[in-house]
Amino acid sequence: MSIREVKVCLLGESGVGKSSIVMRFVTDSFKPALESTIGASFMSKKIAVDDQHYAFQIWDTAGQEKYRSLAPMYYRGAAAAIVVYDVSRDSTFKTVKDWINELKKNASHNIILAIAGNKCDLEDLREVSKRDAEEYASLINAIFIETSALNAVNVPELFMKIARSLPKEDMYSPRATSTLNLRHTQSKPKSGCCGGQSSPS
Amino acid sequence: MAGTKEEPVFHREKSPDDGPQSPTMLPWDRFSNWLYCACVVTFDLELGQAMELIYPSHVKLTDAEKANICYLSFPDSNSDLDFAASILGCMGDTQFNFRIRQSPGRKPGNKSFISINKELPVSIQGDNAHYCGFVYFRQTKDKSIRRGYFQKSVVLISRFPFVALFSELISILAPEYFDNGEPSLEAACHDIDQWPAPCSGETVNLPIFGTVLQVRIPSRSDKVLLGQVTNKSPVVPMIPAHVILPSLCEVDIFSGFQSILPHIQMMWELVLTGEPLVAMAASPSVTSSTVQALISLISPLKYCSDYRPYFTIHDSEFKEYTTKTQAPPSVILGVTNPFFAKTLQHWPHIIRIGEMMTQTPKGFNKLKKASSLKTLDSKPGVYTRYKPFLNKDKAILKRLIKNAILRRYFLEITQSFIIPLERYMASLMPLQRNISPHKSPPVLRPFDIEEFLKTVEHSGPQLTSGIKGDWQGLYQRFFRSSNFEGWYKFRQHEVNQKLQVLHLEAICEANLLDWIQDKQEVEIVDLILRIREKLTFATNNNLVVNMENVNKLQKHLQGIISSLPEDLQSVLKS
Repeated sequence: MSIREVKVCLLGESGVGKSSIVMRFVTDSFKPALESTIGASFMSKKIAVDDQHYAFQIWDTAGQEKYRSLAPMYYRGAAAAIVVYDVSRDSTFKTVKDWINELKKNASHNIILAIAGNKCDLEDLREVSKRDAEEYASLINAIFIETSALNAVNVPELFMKIARSLPKEDMYSPRATSTLNLRHTQSKPKSGCCGGQSSPS
Repeated sequence: MAGTKEEPVFHREKSPDDGPQSPTMLPWDRFSNWLYCACVVTFDLELGQAMELIYPSHVKLTDAEKANICYLSFPDSNSDLDFAASILGCMGDTQFNFRIRQSPGRKPGNKSFISINKELPVSIQGDNAHYCGFVYFRQTKDKSIRRGYFQKSVVLISRFPFVALFSELISILAPEYFDNGEPSLEAACHDIDQWPAPCSGETVNLPIFGTVLQVRIPSRSDKVLLGQVTNKSPVVPMIPAHVILPSLCEVDIFSGFQSILPHIQMMWELVLTGEPLVAMAASPSVTSSTVQALISLISPLKYCSDYRPYFTIHDSEFKEYTTKTQAPPSVILGVTNPFFAKTLQHWPHIIRIGEMMTQTPKGFNKLKKASSLKTLDSKPGVYTRYKPFLNKDKAILKRLIKNAILRRYFLEITQSFIIPLERYMASLMPLQRNISPHKSPPVLRPFDIEEFLKTVEHSGPQLTSGIKGDWQGLYQRFFRSSNFEGWYKFRQHEVNQKLQVLHLEAICEANLLDWIQDKQEVEIVDLILRIREKLTFATNNNLVVNMENVNKLQKHLQGIISSLPEDLQSVLKS
């Protein structure tokens, strides 16, 4: 059975729970006070959805403003972007719209957009209504789900939804042509001192 | 208010997916498995080259190290005029690498450095006396700066010569730094701090800036057979990588030598025998790829003398290496400063490499007398009076030359050269039956050059290589070089370690309690001391010694001691 590789990038304001969602998904655990992410963290996780295996390469970006300009490196070439907000902080939902606009402008055209309203366990403190968020998501044709990394609500479901939304035509094409570049083709300065052919085998 | 929730800062516990680690893993431990630090070097109008940033910030470099890194991160010049000229040669982005001596008194690498090194093939081991530097220099016109140019370098410093990997890494990292500044350097170093350790034989996934580099770490137990390299384990990528690096350290020797290809076999002899060599070119990226290609020609042998892919007049070792009061040292230097054409005029072998892209002038492949090289304007070629020991294999030059073919060709000659040495070394081993638990371990017979050369007559490289010539003469040269010394010391160490292990096993299997029945106390104490010696060896070489045997030894020791009179027991225990 072939494994489909999916690069996913998480974006969103500082403290909305991006790293907690990834930790819940990858190790099914929760830590109440994660230290804030520097740059980005990388994790991988394999799951099976509808008899198809997926290897998620997850880039969990830092929400702090000073890393904002690095984000394009992480969503570049991603199959999906998850923009996370905190249902108990309206300001974080406003930031979602900025991210979506940036992604529409700079990311690849067929990138799958997902919006995740995290901390849905904080019903008493809710500032963003589910209906508003759902409406916005359908308007921009994005996946929408409310999650709680703390209570393990809807986290794998988020990634399963993404898996099911991946364009079908890519599904059966050989992996090597869709995601694997054997040689780095990025333009390089005029040095001749790296790379090189592999040893004869 | 929910909106004011702040995230408290705690030390983050990594998930098990983060890779192999011990619970004592601290921030930057994993980073230092790969790199020593990253630096940014800038041009200050008052000070010249200056260190702008060192990351991680707790890393200490001595003033001498800083000065060397600063000078080696920029194009070299001996005057402002030259500087302007070399600048014009390096507009845009230039990538190269260098090597510096560590300041004396530095602590040797930590435990993890030692254990990584133990399994790596010798030719790519980390070095406790040198740092490798990987530079990405950017220069663009900028009217807002008084000098008129923006000039800055991002540099990675490492103890490991992973040339292919670190060149790729710096080419990803530096452009992002120039676009986004310090946070990107911080993010990159943080990414690297998540990398698994470079464990020999494993294929590692190295996430960096949204992509994953995948590379296999070569292992000492990779079988390097004639003409083929077989990996112990086939590459089974856990994650399909975005970028698969074909090799950790290999450089493209073909482009490194393009303009001096007809002399490449002579270069192999010069490098093998540790001759002083200097490569002159207009740009540090040319000199560094040439020097790296030179030292990799004799792989899997390790080049044991010093080499400097890029060397400047400001280098700490400038006087030491260019003095005319002594014979030129056994080193390989890459230089760009025209000043060296005069300074190194007395050197026996000078390689002058033209621009890689220009057509090589007619007659470039003629050997020239070194003294005829007066300036850097001289034609490309090899300036030497050296007469090669081996006949030139003209067939290789007529074939369509590609890097892979060249690499295979030199692997074959180097293997043909090593096999008789290895065979002779094996004949120096004591016989298994001479290993007795009641005697000291037998020792390796010394290497006798005359005796070895006699074996070359009937079973020398001519058996595996079609190349004719004076192989014995070449061996004699080689024996005077540090490459032989390095090879011999390493093999000797390996063999002695093996003998110690066999001896230890023999002691474990012996029935020592029976043996001591009719022995004098002196002999028994001797035995106890021998076992203790073995236990010390075991603690120092825990990778090659089986724990089960250590336990056996300890049991033996306790049994023997308790069989002795009490007064002696207490003496032995103290």
